[in-house]
Amino acid sequence: MSGLVVARVETALSLSFHILFAVFGVGLPWLVLYAERRWLTTGDRVWYALTRKWARVMAVLFAIGAVSGTVLSFEFGLLWPTFMATYGGAIGLLFTLEAFAFFAEAIFMGLYLYGWKRLSPRAHWLVLWPIAVAGTLSTLFIVMANAWMNHPVGIGSTGGKVTARPWAIFTSSTSWTEVTHMLVAALMCTGGAVAAVYAVGMLRGRRDRYHRNGLNIGMATVLVLAPIQFLVGDFAARDVSATQPGKLAAMEGHYTTSGHVPLTIGGFYDNRTHHLVGGLPIPDGLSLLLNFKPGAVVPGLDQLPADQQPMTAVVHLAFDTMVGLGSVILLIAAWGGWRWWRGRRRGDSPRVRLTRTWLWAGAFTGPAAMIAMLAGWEVTEGGRQPWIVYQHMLVADAATKSTGLGWALLATILIYLGLALALILILRKLASGAPPDLQSDLDDGTEAQNTMEAQAAS
Amino acid sequence: MTAINALLAIIVLSLLAYALLAGADFGGGFWDLVAGWSRRRDRDPEGQRKLIAASLGPVWEANHVWLIFVIVCVFSGFPTAFGTIATSLELPLGFALVGIVLRGAAYVYRAYGGGAALPDQWWGRIFAGASVLTPFMLGVSGAALATGTLGPHSAPTEPFRSAFALTAGVLAVAATAFLAAVYLCHNAAQYPETAHLVRVFRQKAMGAAVAAGAVVLALLPLFYRDAPAVAARFTDRSIPLAVLSALCGAGSLLVLWRERYILARFTAAAAVVGVLGGWAAAQYPDLMTGVYTAAQSAAAPQSVDAMLIAMCFGMAVVLPSFYLLLRIFSSPAVDEH
Repeated sequence: MSGLVVARVETALSLSFHILFAVFGVGLPWLVLYAERRWLTTGDRVWYALTRKWARVMAVLFAIGAVSGTVLSFEFGLLWPTFMATYGGAIGLLFTLEAFAFFAEAIFMGLYLYGWKRLSPRAHWLVLWPIAVAGTLSTLFIVMANAWMNHPVGIGSTGGKVTARPWAIFTSSTSWTEVTHMLVAALMCTGGAVAAVYAVGMLRGRRDRYHRNGLNIGMATVLVLAPIQFLVGDFAARDVSATQPGKLAAMEGHYTTSGHVPLTIGGFYDNRTHHLVGGLPIPDGLSLLLNFKPGAVVPGLDQLPADQQPMTAVVHLAFDTMVGLGSVILLIAAWGGWRWWRGRRRGDSPRVRLTRTWLWAGAFTGPAAMIAMLAGWEVTEGGRQPWIVYQHMLVADAATKSTGLGWALLATILIYLGLALALILILRKLASGAPPDLQSDLDDGTEAQNTMEAQAAS
Repeated sequence: MTAINALLAIIVLSLLAYALLAGADFGGGFWDLVAGWSRRRDRDPEGQRKLIAASLGPVWEANHVWLIFVIVCVFSGFPTAFGTIATSLELPLGFALVGIVLRGAAYVYRAYGGGAALPDQWWGRIFAGASVLTPFMLGVSGAALATGTLGPHSAPTEPFRSAFALTAGVLAVAATAFLAAVYLCHNAAQYPETAHLVRVFRQKAMGAAVAAGAVVLALLPLFYRDAPAVAARFTDRSIPLAVLSALCGAGSLLVLWRERYILARFTAAAAVVGVLGGWAAAQYPDLMTGVYTAAQSAAAPQSVDAMLIAMCFGMAVVLPSFYLLLRIFSSPAVDEH
């Protein structure tokens, strides 16, 4: 394999591995913040048990996110030396800021995880704030660096050296749409994964308050954010159409520049005919969506020379995967919202009855959100090809010329596979239900209350 | 030029912080590895391992970030050199990364896994082995930069060809073991249930001090042979730091013998600072000897300025937080998470 192919596969692998765990470093602190707060205000041991459990999961996932993130920082130099040599300074400010955010996250994570006996309960809860804020900020800085590669702003050159106005990135619209999209995605992945774990537990018969609270928090997070994510995604797509028309055309599998462009749902892009095979075209859909006019002209891939077109077949498929899964989550959100509203009107308790269908829906949101998030990264990265810095540097020129990296790739695959497998086993063990000493607290509070009320009424 | 020097100073200070803090964490792994080698029951190998794990737990991730910070500073501040440094050191850095990943993963898998994936002892061995591999590879990498044989087209195995670089790797392992044993003496003295380990770690610390001193003596002639340009600057500039290091290293023995464990932390740290600082002073102004000086490879001035501004604000938040962390966990107790 050439250095370029190895570098690309290795980067894709390391990034995917990292991001699968990093999202929990961003999302879980916010959920733990809520759960521990509930424990502090109510003294309810079920909330305490959830907090302790999530803290353990957070500890493991944060450590894996941290070490796999270290791998990435080295890989910039190991795999993409020319890119770093030319543009390292331009994205340096963001990475410096990210390092500090990560510093803060690691410091307060240590205080949180090991401070149960050394900090007062209130101080222990307060320590979560810097963790949550710093985790969010690290996403912001890192995704902004990626946004800069998609839409490099402020580039100049003096004396043969590439310069970049370092603060320009903060005023680029691409930064803010991409960052918001990813932050909401990270929270949705966390919420979905939490919902899925407890939904599966309940489907297996563990229908106690511990599981119900866990499920409800997860479901609330992922479902409330679903409509917001659709809006943010719409903004992001508009920004892509303005700044990277080639990527948008690849997302939609749209080749011939024209007006009255349909929006095709599904379908596979045929590289030879430049047409989508199968799929459901909505007449004038894309023109309407982007410009609110049925006849609006949308530039297609034919505007780009053949060697500057992304792999449209992959990008379109990834885009449809993301939007498709997102839409299903949105439907679940609408259904859940309706059930909640109906339950509230009837005075039901709980508001949303935990039927098996609902639990299956909860179990679906976790994997769906994760796959949608990974597909989204394929869209933004694959859609930028063949550029590493859009319209400034080609991926092929940025990659290492080293030829001996096949072994490194093999080693990475083996180590990451082993670690992921071990992690799954460990998480499965952690997800083995409420701690045994909690059984007395687990009686269904609402049902007991209902029985008492019924008795009082008779 | 002054902004570049300021950035270099920050990088060297961060590297020192990494060596003194994360170095001791790696050294803890070394002692975890050799804990079972002695047959004597009274040395309580499992007790040693528990104390090591408890000392690492709250701080190792924050300590580790210093390395990420150094890497980020080098690639943002000196982007041209970073690519060449990384590719010419791809083999030792690759191994160091394997060590970093396995060390961190094995540590949390052992602490939180409850034997779900592999028995805890296995993760313990992986953690310990990786803790030795990583400082060795980082030591080789740092020393190889001084030799002047690396370049954009040097062979991947080039860093391992110099006896100086290999010995420097061994020195890195010895120094981390020395730091860890010294720090653990004080930690063990904090609680009655670990007090019997003080004697064990005191002995280890003194042994490691002697070993590290011996490695330094073996290293010096190789240094002058394999890295002549840097060695010449070492003679000009770094003798005071070398003397400091020698005095503090020997002083550590005395202080440990007198059972002054807090003072021993300072002398031990100063001994390591002397070695690393001496190398850094001699390396200046080269980043990669014979290929890149700092000034040649620096990023555009406005990028460096922006980074320095960001660092002032960042350090204002991070340093007090770090102090808080170290203070709260100054006496780690076993079984607290």
